[in-house]
Amino acid sequence: MRSDTSEKTQDPAAVKAIDVVKLFDGGVVRALDGLNLQIERGEFVAITGPSGCGKSTLIHLVASLDVPTSGKILVNGHDLQSENKDRVRRKEIGLVFQLHNLLPHLNALENVEIAMLGNGLGYREQRERAHELLEEMGLSAKAKMTPPRLSGGERQRLAIARALANHPSILLADEPTGSLDSASVDRVLDLFRRIREERGVTILMATHDTHVALTADRIIHMRDGRAVENGQTPSEGERDKTV
Amino acid sequence: MPFLVLIARNVITRKVRSLLTGAAVAIGIMTVVALGVLTHSLRMTATSILRTGSADFTIAQKGVSDVLFSAMDETQVKQIQSYPEVDSAIGVLVGSFKMDTNHPFFLEIGIQPEDLQPFGVQVVAGRAYSADATDEAMLGYRAARDLGKTVGDTVTLDTVDYVVVGIFSTGQVFGDSASMLPLPKLQAEERKPGDVTLMFVKVKPGANIDALRAQIEKDSPELATVQTVSEFGRIDRNLSLISAANAAITIIALVIGAIGVMNTMMMSVFERTREFGVLRAVGWTRIRVLALVLGEAFLIALASAAVGVAMGYVTIRLIERLPEVVGFFQPDYTASVFGRALGIAVGMAVIGAIYPAVRAALLEPLDALRHE
Repeated sequence: MRSDTSEKTQDPAAVKAIDVVKLFDGGVVRALDGLNLQIERGEFVAITGPSGCGKSTLIHLVASLDVPTSGKILVNGHDLQSENKDRVRRKEIGLVFQLHNLLPHLNALENVEIAMLGNGLGYREQRERAHELLEEMGLSAKAKMTPPRLSGGERQRLAIARALANHPSILLADEPTGSLDSASVDRVLDLFRRIREERGVTILMATHDTHVALTADRIIHMRDGRAVENGQTPSEGERDKTV
Repeated sequence: MPFLVLIARNVITRKVRSLLTGAAVAIGIMTVVALGVLTHSLRMTATSILRTGSADFTIAQKGVSDVLFSAMDETQVKQIQSYPEVDSAIGVLVGSFKMDTNHPFFLEIGIQPEDLQPFGVQVVAGRAYSADATDEAMLGYRAARDLGKTVGDTVTLDTVDYVVVGIFSTGQVFGDSASMLPLPKLQAEERKPGDVTLMFVKVKPGANIDALRAQIEKDSPELATVQTVSEFGRIDRNLSLISAANAAITIIALVIGAIGVMNTMMMSVFERTREFGVLRAVGWTRIRVLALVLGEAFLIALASAAVGVAMGYVTIRLIERLPEVVGFFQPDYTASVFGRALGIAVGMAVIGAIYPAVRAALLEPLDALRHE
């Protein structure tokens, strides 16, 4: 990241969106409409809302996969507009998709390793880290299996392992439980909580499922491209009911 | 996982794509190798006459379609001999005929006996023929061995019987596979009285050969001087045409191969759009994606080049067995032919894959991830 230490020390937020507008189709579709939000470092935040409310768009903007039409997104205090987006995705962000997006011809170990290609690590170190991550995800026994031979939950855990390969400070998950059965959902959510606690990783999870959202520290509810409820923290009781 | 292993894995996993791309390259390389060997071998055969005598350079009539059609007057030999830088200039008449299927291009060289020694001819058995003999000839030792002839035997050269009075060696394969006759006898047989085909010139020590050649060509514009095999096209347009055809077919092979590579690589990039989106999403740079696609094409091209060379070799062996070319064509597998094949394979890969690779690298990750 660019060394803008003054801004960084003044703004410790992991993610900050300032008046973010994102238009599609020449302005016909207003996916984000002046969105403002702040996510502190180490927080586990769920973004909820109906389809088309802008959840995925927000994830894409924070992941540097897209740029806002106007407004600013700051990641760890740095304005993404002036950052090298490849480097942000490689060093700062880990991405988990609903459909896993694993490479079917590579085995589980290699799927984790490809995220580390070009990050300066030696081959042995990459392999060692990939093994560690697979172990952490409970996939050690499946290291040599290709994604088509894994269950949906295993694929998603593999996708999480890949997302963590470069030690990101922020994990972005776009509907990570959308294609999983309930047992796998629980396991993935457990993993998210453990990752947040053990690694201190900030997690921003987009989900349309309120019960899944309740496992987060905080819920940001979006509607029509804006955050309409920001800061709800589920109680232990509420959380227990959903898990 | 090392980057090169990923490249190899991608190539091996996508068998159909790799085989289609490889087929385009292999066929192109096969064509290039087969034509390259063929052309080189024809060139060596065609230029054999130049390498028969030991000379600093050779003179022939300019612009003839075949060097054997070169015709110069013996008086021109004397003119050349009159240049102060010239040590010796020897005029020879060259003819060829088909002796049998194993010797479809047997050379007869008409040369005066006093010129044999300066021409680089050493009589290794028997004696040289007489200047005015009409039934005496000499055979190169390779020709004598092939024909089973020795001194005192009779040999039939282009329907005329001669007594083999000597066996000679020139130190050159082609010269040693030929026959030599008195110049007037061959001129009479070829109905070319007073004519010579080529002049072999030796210069005096310290003479500037290039300047002398330039002076001769200026004084006698109908003549061309040749010092190296590569200049042979100046006195043999057929060879120039063959070389030009070879170059043209090589370019066509390169273009067809490159289009084949581009076609399959484009299909591959289209099919793998989502994969490239994933790689970009996990932080791969555009350069790395570009290198991945180019690396895959490069690997396919190298493997296909090996297959193409093998196919080219088999093709040459098949051509070699055709009755029409037996004896004319001795395959000469030079390193330059294989080097060129390798270069063309790499060229096909780079030219064919650069556009698909750039397309893959320029994909916006989000658009690529949305690709169905």
